[in-house]
Amino acid sequence: MINSSPRSHLYRLGILLAVFFVVAAVARQWATPASWNYRDWYRTDALRDTELLPLAYGGNESCNGCHEKAGQTMRAREHKGLSCESCHGALADHVRADKKFAAAKVDPSRGQCLNCHAEDINKPRGFPLFSKEGAIGKFVPKHKESSETGRCLKCHDPHDPKT
Amino acid sequence: MENMLPNTSDGSVDGDHDSRREFLKHLLSGTATATVLMVFGPGVSKVSASHNQPRQGYNIQTEHEFAYVIDVNRCIGCGNCVRACARENAVPPGVFRTWVERYVVTNDGHVYVESPDGGREGFEEINAELRKAAKFSLTVPKMCNQCMDPPCVQVCPVGARFRTPEGFILVDNDHCLGCAYCVQACPYGATFINPVKKVSDKCTWCYHRVKKGKLPACVTVCPNKARLFGDLKDPESEVTKIFKEDKWMILKPAMDTVPYCFYVGLPREVI
Repeated sequence: MINSSPRSHLYRLGILLAVFFVVAAVARQWATPASWNYRDWYRTDALRDTELLPLAYGGNESCNGCHEKAGQTMRAREHKGLSCESCHGALADHVRADKKFAAAKVDPSRGQCLNCHAEDINKPRGFPLFSKEGAIGKFVPKHKESSETGRCLKCHDPHDPKT
Repeated sequence: MENMLPNTSDGSVDGDHDSRREFLKHLLSGTATATVLMVFGPGVSKVSASHNQPRQGYNIQTEHEFAYVIDVNRCIGCGNCVRACARENAVPPGVFRTWVERYVVTNDGHVYVESPDGGREGFEEINAELRKAAKFSLTVPKMCNQCMDPPCVQVCPVGARFRTPEGFILVDNDHCLGCAYCVQACPYGATFINPVKKVSDKCTWCYHRVKKGKLPACVTVCPNKARLFGDLKDPESEVTKIFKEDKWMILKPAMDTVPYCFYVGLPREVI
């Protein structure tokens, strides 16, 4: 202690700083992901990770392979803009590894047709709407009698609705 | 700088003027250097080279410039998009990457907005009293606006939120801390903390689908073409045609986020 240099406190500080910088450098190296993009500040591998997420919906082109006839009817008629999967559910719940494993059943919980075609003031003009007393009901007398929901399908085929 | 230290500590008068002059010289040269660096420094070249930097206006010089168009006059509020999004991206119940709001504007200027369960199951009939008072009503799909200058990317402390070269704002699930700064920063309320993964989550415009040449799930199932997606660099795409017509609007333009989600037919009541 007696022989210690009058600048020993500075040396100690210097050593402490050096240790700090080494630890910081190591920690930084350890914490930064390998594929880090320093220019735009993100992990480049995250792009691939996101890209590899599984698809659930296949689009109509994936249905046509097996259901060509239904697809043809659909494309020719009023519901041509509809996606099969909007009623039948996602492809991934129906086909796995090119094999059907579950039926693509239509979920009836939202009143099927009425999910889109129930009349209300928020619906766009020109969109075909149904209500017991409303626009379509007035023009088509039969609609007045079919008061229960779910009876549309007795006359209408959803693939070719204008029947 | 070092010859200043003894002067300030022991108060010696010797060389006091010299050190002051020295100090002022250093200060001046430092200021000048900083100014030059700020104006002509590496930051300038970065603006043109990096896709994370804000730019003025659209039509950026990249290979793709993806855009999303929502035509509120075509939306029927069926909720297909909300259900498809939840299925495609495993979004847990109660949180939404996309949701549908129903606005009812009355003649006396009141605005009623609702989004029961994000519009997932569609909407109940508007009650007779409100229907009588209503001036108009419409459903507005909402989602991440994939801004060119995204506040959520700006505030992310770890770089887990980023903008890809094609303009998708993505979340790095493995890198996100779940601090929710992005949730606060988003002016559109489109970001949330995934209650299952415990990390930040939001619409990615179905990046995994688009990369495979498919449309986002919500666009795929929309029955009335209220949702469109495409590349503004493709002159044949529907979004390019709508973009060129110049009749689109954006949400919260005052936030200056330069969103790539364009709305058609948006009344001023919608925020």
